[in-house]
Amino acid sequence: MWLPSALPVVVLVGYPLLIAPTRAVLTIGVAAIVLCALGVAVRSTPVVVAGGVLALGEYALALWLSTGPPRLTGAVLFGVGLVLLLETVDFARRVRHAAIGPGVVASQVRYWAVFAALAGTAAFVVIGIATAASLIAHLPWAPAFAATGAAVALVAVAVTLRHARS
Amino acid sequence: MTTRLTPLALSVVTLAAWGLVLGVFSGRPELVVAVAPLLLGLLRRAPVDPVRDWRISRSLSVDRAFEGERVVVTVTVNAGQPVPLLELFEPLPPSLRVVAGSNRGVFTLVRGQEVQWRYEVECGRRGRVSLGTVHARLWDRAGLHAGETSVQAPGQLRVYPRPIPLRRLPRPRRTQASVGNYVSSSVGEGLEPGDIREFVPGDRIRHVNWRASLRFRRLFVTQYHQERNADVILMLDTLVEVGAPPETTLDASIQAAASLAGAYLARKDRVGLIEYGGPFRWVRPGSGRAQYERLLEALLRADVVFSYVRANVALVPRRVLPAQALVIAISPLLDAHFEKAVVDLAARGFDLVILSPSPIPLVQRSTRASPSVDLACRLWALERRARAAALHRLGLTILEWDPREPLEATLAGFTRSRHRSVAG
Repeated sequence: MWLPSALPVVVLVGYPLLIAPTRAVLTIGVAAIVLCALGVAVRSTPVVVAGGVLALGEYALALWLSTGPPRLTGAVLFGVGLVLLLETVDFARRVRHAAIGPGVVASQVRYWAVFAALAGTAAFVVIGIATAASLIAHLPWAPAFAATGAAVALVAVAVTLRHARS
Repeated sequence: MTTRLTPLALSVVTLAAWGLVLGVFSGRPELVVAVAPLLLGLLRRAPVDPVRDWRISRSLSVDRAFEGERVVVTVTVNAGQPVPLLELFEPLPPSLRVVAGSNRGVFTLVRGQEVQWRYEVECGRRGRVSLGTVHARLWDRAGLHAGETSVQAPGQLRVYPRPIPLRRLPRPRRTQASVGNYVSSSVGEGLEPGDIREFVPGDRIRHVNWRASLRFRRLFVTQYHQERNADVILMLDTLVEVGAPPETTLDASIQAAASLAGAYLARKDRVGLIEYGGPFRWVRPGSGRAQYERLLEALLRADVVFSYVRANVALVPRRVLPAQALVIAISPLLDAHFEKAVVDLAARGFDLVILSPSPIPLVQRSTRASPSVDLACRLWALERRARAAALHRLGLTILEWDPREPLEATLAGFTRSRHRSVAG
């Protein structure tokens, strides 16, 4: 069960290095890959979350050091990789030492593939709409992104907590 | 079914929050876009259906087993509706140990599908084992939500004490009227030649002793000893036990009782059981396979139960404690009441044998070794020896049995000493 988790780790750590191949990014990347590898090996979601936070930091640093237009396609891939890393490690933790029935792994891999495709497509559609909107109206993008992100986060947490118990 | 948010959802929220914070501080939109799939993952909610539309049934390869034997547990799951991810966990009592497979299973089921899940357990200790509850957890595909419930799937397993094959047994001094394997002192039909006497009308020709008849020039016949069975009563001390399960004095006593019962029943004897403890129970003497199962059932439920009412052998009906019976008292001799009871039985003229599984090695095994423990055990051994000597002076013979050693060897030595005492 380590292979489906290893691929997102490579994407998460390797992509920021492609953006800004500096020593600082490499250092954070090494720390992130060590934590992620440890989390995958021991099937610990908290350790993988710590590795994911470091990978986000590495990505932020790489973006901060780089110049040029926003790389939104890469950002979508990075986000999908983050989701897949979390879910694969958590799935591996849940099925550890358990008898696995026929078709469990295959159906789960199928689900992740469908989710990645749908999430990527949805993100690209949103990016396309945003790009088109930016050509029409010139807004102060940074506060707008922050406000949108905060709103989406709040809605997501609220919806999640509302359905936490039924 | 109780549904709840899983720790994975909190992990997703944590990462998303970190991404947003970093996005705001770095002023780069990529970070906000990167956490969008995480937040979408939280928003997409495949609700765990609170209505259970799947059934669980369980079957065991056998419903009765001996200690150390293996039993295959088969759990069958039928789904009426598609089940994305079903996790089943069957908690096992301490007396069962999983040796093959796992008592936790994860399944994905489509509509109408039936899945079987097998695992093998080893029965560690005697007793009635109830496999009653299966805990089920229904996950959504992402693992963000889970619903939990418990399903009752009744299953009973009876684990009997494993009998040890015994070849040498204490011989009863007195026999009964039914045909058995012991050479009786009374003469009649049998195989073992006894005295000879003069022929009288009615004697069979084949019993004529031709050698004696030719010597004395009169007809003599050979008389044969009858072969008879005996009544054996196993008296089990359930007043107290020491040691750590599954190696307590009671476990050793019960294993000895099961072994003795099987060996005596194989010799066509009638065997009964008295459980001398809090619940004062008995099994009347009987013979055959059915009696062996009755005895095993009684041994299955034998346990130390505290009671304010003290047992008294005087209360045992005469049918349970026949006068001619060999009584084998199995006790670690830790309770004075049991000693008093066996002294009482010996005084009433019963053929009595005391088999005493020594508690000292069992206690030594269950405690950490230290000089003080070693000293205490040596003092305890001296005290037990002194008590055995006191009982011996009252005409009782105690056979000290180290449960780590084979019972066969202990009984063999005991049989020889009884033969010597009888011969003397």
